[in-house]
Amino acid sequence: MKSIFIKLLFFASVIGLSSCEDVIDIDIQDGVEQLVIDAWITNKDEDQVVKLSLSQPYFDNSTPRAVTDATVILFDEDSVAYPFIDLNQTGEYTLPREANGFLKENKRYALYVKYKDQEFAALSLYRPVPKIDSIAYEFFEFPFAGQDSTETSGYFAEFYANDPIGEGDTYWIRTTKNANLINNAASISISYDGGFSPGGGTDGLTFILPIRQSINDGFYQHGDSLDVELWSITPDAYLYLLQVRQESANGGIFATPPANIPTNIFNLDSRSEVKALGFFGISQVSSLSAKIDSTKARPSE
Amino acid sequence: MKKLLLLGFFCLTSFVGFSQNVSLSGYIRDASNGEGMIGVSIYVQELQTGTQTNAYGFYSITLPPGTYTLNLTSIGYGQQTQKVSLSESLTRDFEMNDEASQLQEVVVKAEREDANVKSLEMSVNKVEMKTIKKMPAFMGEVDVIRSIQFLPGVSSVGEGASGFNVRGGGIDQNLVLLDEAPVYNSSHLFGLFSVFNPDAVKDVKLIKGGIPANYGGRVSSILDVRMKEGNSKKPEFTGGLGTIFSRFAYERPFLEGKGSFIVALRRSYIDVLAKPFLNEDLKGSQFYFYDFTAKGNYKINNNNTVFLSGYFGRDVFGADFGFNWGNATTSLRWNHVFNDKLFMNTTVFYSNYDYLLDSDLNNEEDQDSFRWESNIENYSIKPDFQYYINPNNTLSFGGQSIYYRFNPGQAEAVSGGESRSIGLPDKYAVESGIYIGNEQKVNSRLSLQYGIRYSDYRYLGKGNKVLLNTEGSVAGEQKEVTDIIQVGQGELIQQYGNWEPRFSANIGLGRNSSIKVSYNRLAQYIHLLSNTTASSPLDVWTPSSNNIKPQISDQVALGYFQNFDDNNYEASVEVYYKELQNQIDYTRNANLLLNPAVEADLLSGDGRAYGAEFYLKKNRGKFNGWISYTLARTERLVDGLNNNEWFPARIDKMHNLSLVSIFDTGKKWSFSGTFNFSSGTPASFPTNKFIWQGIALPHNYYDTRNSYRIPASHRLDLSATLQNKHAFFKKGESEWVFSVYNVYNRRNPFSVYVRQNEDNFAQTEAVKYSVFASILPAVTYNFKF
Repeated sequence: MKSIFIKLLFFASVIGLSSCEDVIDIDIQDGVEQLVIDAWITNKDEDQVVKLSLSQPYFDNSTPRAVTDATVILFDEDSVAYPFIDLNQTGEYTLPREANGFLKENKRYALYVKYKDQEFAALSLYRPVPKIDSIAYEFFEFPFAGQDSTETSGYFAEFYANDPIGEGDTYWIRTTKNANLINNAASISISYDGGFSPGGGTDGLTFILPIRQSINDGFYQHGDSLDVELWSITPDAYLYLLQVRQESANGGIFATPPANIPTNIFNLDSRSEVKALGFFGISQVSSLSAKIDSTKARPSE
Repeated sequence: MKKLLLLGFFCLTSFVGFSQNVSLSGYIRDASNGEGMIGVSIYVQELQTGTQTNAYGFYSITLPPGTYTLNLTSIGYGQQTQKVSLSESLTRDFEMNDEASQLQEVVVKAEREDANVKSLEMSVNKVEMKTIKKMPAFMGEVDVIRSIQFLPGVSSVGEGASGFNVRGGGIDQNLVLLDEAPVYNSSHLFGLFSVFNPDAVKDVKLIKGGIPANYGGRVSSILDVRMKEGNSKKPEFTGGLGTIFSRFAYERPFLEGKGSFIVALRRSYIDVLAKPFLNEDLKGSQFYFYDFTAKGNYKINNNNTVFLSGYFGRDVFGADFGFNWGNATTSLRWNHVFNDKLFMNTTVFYSNYDYLLDSDLNNEEDQDSFRWESNIENYSIKPDFQYYINPNNTLSFGGQSIYYRFNPGQAEAVSGGESRSIGLPDKYAVESGIYIGNEQKVNSRLSLQYGIRYSDYRYLGKGNKVLLNTEGSVAGEQKEVTDIIQVGQGELIQQYGNWEPRFSANIGLGRNSSIKVSYNRLAQYIHLLSNTTASSPLDVWTPSSNNIKPQISDQVALGYFQNFDDNNYEASVEVYYKELQNQIDYTRNANLLLNPAVEADLLSGDGRAYGAEFYLKKNRGKFNGWISYTLARTERLVDGLNNNEWFPARIDKMHNLSLVSIFDTGKKWSFSGTFNFSSGTPASFPTNKFIWQGIALPHNYYDTRNSYRIPASHRLDLSATLQNKHAFFKKGESEWVFSVYNVYNRRNPFSVYVRQNEDNFAQTEAVKYSVFASILPAVTYNFKF
């Protein structure tokens, strides 16, 4: 099974013939600046942060401007308010770690943001998450190095978890390799009932192999650490991330027409022309860490 | 339908009864190999009238008794003059020699009838296989579909994309026929090569407009590819060794020339060459593609001939996992001459396209695997009649019925030892059509072709009828599925019917020029769901249903045709305007594979395409070829996209210029070159970016589509052919073909897109993607003996 990976790469290089990519300059029209809300609230034992910034022209590579004069409040179903404060004026509105621990399973939460007389809101649900049972890894060797890599051998890891029975469970798998979060948008790993997408018939199964193996970024080597997190996201977060991934790696001959990434943030005044970008999600997180140890590797096939 | 046919027969017999004249009919064949010749014109000097052979080489013409001089002409075959005395109806078969073998003969100088100006056909392009074989070929592999892209009105979404676009139509809007059976995926290797083996192809004809009533089922064009029948004079081997394929074909007569057959095989052999270099892990790898083409014909007697043809091709990639896909077609045809005026061909065909993805081909893994297959198959019967009433009227009529079975996807997934089947139920449909048309010479200046086709479509159970909430959904967004109803076997889910009128006229302006006009309506009931720039082998054909309406196109075209220098030069200018209804588009993130309610992810809109095509061709002499230029526009209007305004379609290319030149020294060497320039295709870019989780994400504030253009493409290809006297052991003939693709090494853009910088995901950049970014030289050796 592992060798599929090598072979696919080999075919890709055979088929690839002489295709190439050149970075070029293009002139495009600028749009109007918009509020961007980046909010993930989890049960992780750390400060909870809601980031506010402004959108900018697409090819403007300067640091985005932070929004520091907004009001940010999280509400639970009983209208209990959890205010987030931008103490350092960096646009990072924070609920301190000590105040955390209030999230309750299957309860809905609302984020409220007020900026320049416009009031925005978004809803999410705190869903249960299965535990990660184990992480296994196996050694193998490439005939040649992969793209953007010089390593020809190493360990290929996979995690094991089971999707609970009941359709419509959606997940985000986030991996940290040697304390660096693998944050490449093109390789965002999301799962629907342990499979790729709805209708996959995978409800109640062990997460399928390609998802289990989605925690790799090149090879792991002896001594490397990896932390795998399984996030229980809502189905609309799944769709949001799906679109983020799609729009981040949408080149080549099988590209789809570019489309805007949907947001779950809405203006409380539905007649207002002012819209916000970004996403608000609540998630329960289970995690498991491992340190690659050559003596504990699964025997090769 | 039976009734109508019967009625037709009655009319015909009554016509025959009253006829005063006698008729001359028969077949015209190639003298060197006995192949029936398509489109040979037979011109009767004394009466200044004539006819043409049909797709099987049959002709019939009704004349008063007398002695006549016939001029037989066909491009590449020159002209032949025959004297015929007619006192009663007569059957005469003729044979023609190609130009190469008649250089020594004295050619009778006479009026040459000329198809470009005189025929009713407009918006039709024929490229002789001889020419296709001389054009520079990509990687040295002669390719029918790549060659027709040099014709006016034909383009491709980019180098290396599969299929072709005609006058603003999608690749699934071309009816690609191989001996009358449709081919659903005309590409090998994701689009780099077409599935037609050039050694087995006799004739290629592309109809872009003025489509006669006997064709139906697609809204843009007909690509009618006819296979060779096989040499009925002597056994012959042809073959070649190329960079990609090795080819081999064998043809011969049997039963004293009453029958003949051809078998042709192509296979890529890069895997064979690579084998010694593969290490253990790659030893079992397969990566090849092949096709097998065979055809046989048997002449039972003068009035009955049967043809059996088959095609089987596959692309195979894999080792312990597998991905393979391919087409198979079989067609059986029966040519029957009822009498000297009535000709019939009945075709029965089977066509299939399927693919398979399997993560575990050898069934070694019991814990985790995935297997997925999909296909479209159909069976059809298609009787076509041609009735040569008199020299001024040729009636065609007939019908077709196609039974479709669609397998949108069957998958089995095993995870952690537990297995699940994910199956979408099969879908069934029957598409039928009847037509009648007449080709009429009104006077020496005006000829007309008019006809009508009625198509009937039924989407049948057993299957699922998906009900959607169309009222309550936001335009451009996925629709809500309100119910899925199980429908029993053979029960009607949805029916559509369409009248499709066809008309064309030729108004002669003198000996060498004419004006032609045409109108046609076409309906299409099956659709290829593909939301990617280039179509992929995984794309699934889907039938019209209660939610997907049939596509309809209306096209008018007007053309001016002029020949010069004794028909050495053909010139034409055509303008066309086309309107398309019920064009399929897709919601954001549409899930087109293994989706039981895929109809909820589809949008429907209108299309329009208009343009002008200029064409100048030189037919004879050492130096020949053509120039074509197309100025065109193709647009779409879809509710929910581009703020509900018209936008350029992904395939829109404003300028498209092609040059094809062939220089034959008449000695050992011949040379050819092609050049193409085409405008960039449209693209959409974001206006803004926003940073989310440290990643720069694109946002188009105005939500426009295709408002930018990627840079233009241009490319020069050259080839040189060295003719050897002999192939092997002083027998036969052979040639070396040296070709260079993309001579001046241009990186033509396939697309331009934006992305995050791979070292800093908060930074953004634009990227030009080129499929071929270097010169690609190739050598091919061809032989024949």
